[in-house]
Amino acid sequence: MNELRDAVNLLSYFVIPLILVGFPLYGLYKRVPVYESFVEGAREGFQVAVRIIPYLVAILFAIAMFRASGAMDFLTLILSPVLGLIGFPAEVLPMAIIRPLTGSGSAGIVVDMVNQYGEDSILVKMAAVMFGSTETTFYVIAVYFGAVNIKKTRHAVPAGLTADVAAMIFAVWTVRLLFG
Amino acid sequence: MLNYIWAGLIVSSFVFALGHDIRDIAGDRYRNGRPLPVELSFPEGHDPAARRVPVEIRIEPGEYASFYGTGQRPAASYAGYLLQTREGVQLRFGAGAKLPEPLATIAKASRSRDEELQGRLLGLTPPERVQGTGLATAMTAVVFEPVRFVKMSAIAAAALDFAKTGAEIALGLIGVLALFLGVLKIAEHAGIIYALVKLVRPILRPLFPEIPPDHPALGMIALNLAANVFGLGNAATPFGIKAMEELQKLNPREDTATNPMVMLLAVNTASVQLVPPVLLLALLGLQINRLIFPIIITTVLSLVVAIAAVKLFGRLPGVRASDPNRNPPPPAAAPTA
Repeated sequence: MNELRDAVNLLSYFVIPLILVGFPLYGLYKRVPVYESFVEGAREGFQVAVRIIPYLVAILFAIAMFRASGAMDFLTLILSPVLGLIGFPAEVLPMAIIRPLTGSGSAGIVVDMVNQYGEDSILVKMAAVMFGSTETTFYVIAVYFGAVNIKKTRHAVPAGLTADVAAMIFAVWTVRLLFG
Repeated sequence: MLNYIWAGLIVSSFVFALGHDIRDIAGDRYRNGRPLPVELSFPEGHDPAARRVPVEIRIEPGEYASFYGTGQRPAASYAGYLLQTREGVQLRFGAGAKLPEPLATIAKASRSRDEELQGRLLGLTPPERVQGTGLATAMTAVVFEPVRFVKMSAIAAAALDFAKTGAEIALGLIGVLALFLGVLKIAEHAGIIYALVKLVRPILRPLFPEIPPDHPALGMIALNLAANVFGLGNAATPFGIKAMEELQKLNPREDTATNPMVMLLAVNTASVQLVPPVLLLALLGLQINRLIFPIIITTVLSLVVAIAAVKLFGRLPGVRASDPNRNPPPPAAAPTA
């Protein structure tokens, strides 16, 4: 396991340089006007970023309001007895709720939990595994669908949230299994 | 679905904020308009003519607890100063004082500059010198600015703040997007994407059966997944966006997500990464080494769930009916050749 991890880690240093150098180099070999092609493609960067703005603002402000209102505490309050039945600790519930909503918010929760329970605690491990194994679902939806102006997301949200819920439960179980 | 979640977030935050504020008012949590007894001592003496007089503020813990009905205790003393003007005497707590609740909330809500907690002093008897110590002290009371609708202003502030953040995040992506989209264009022109498509077709075809076998979208998806696996969020986003653009070219209805789009999104939100995010490394340090194994197990399991969920939900009648490929737009809306 360690060797695999080291190899992946080592590779991850080279992936971006390889893409940035390798693609143009291969392009030269194929007699592509590399500079012109690059500029042609890069021009899109601005349009894509601007296209994303309305989607990102829509998602982020709604989530920020929700967090500021204290509704999260209420959600934690009503969900924790239900989730307690499947062995889901109430202390990591805020993490599980916030993770799909905001990346910075959930990182803040990891910091809080480290301060509160200590680095070695099993609760911090659960929260960290949750953080590391999932993405900020709503941000990804806003950016990826926003970039192509998709407004009707169909089953993307339910599927993404189902996977998130599963990841949170798996995180608790695997940490329990390995460290419990 | 997103319509309901979005509206739900906004409406419920309003409802909760209102509920919280009404409870505050009903319970008179901030004791608006009522004086809190404090003891002031004057390390540099008290000059009634000076505009600014430094003081040390002491709040008796028992009195504080019964006044606000709270279990929180104030610190032994706070540094602050008196602001003496013709309108009266104002007591200000030094900025950055570690205040107990609800004073901390009052400080935030009272809109003074530099987050100094401020209040009006009710009568200041000239301080008397305590024998032996040389310190002048005075008992007095302070009335803070009335605090109402804390949560209501909090949600408004949060909304404005994050609207700005949203635009900043998007604009902050411009450079990285331009860099990778530029390189991708070279890759496209050089035929690298097509080579990649041939390579990954056997793996990705089952997940994305709707994409024609030789379409460059598969190559972009492969790059996006590879960047994810290596924990390169910066590169994964432009690749993913490019893949979405390729998928959009196959989409007969440009405002509705197709099945491959939903699959790409689900695979990205499940985030298969073998290298843990840099942020987590920064937060936890070397602890992370012991967590890599559970992270990989969890992320792979949740990826399986994500794929299964996309495939299963895709069979629901409502979702099927909205599939742009099954239900192409009426001919009138379609561009004529």
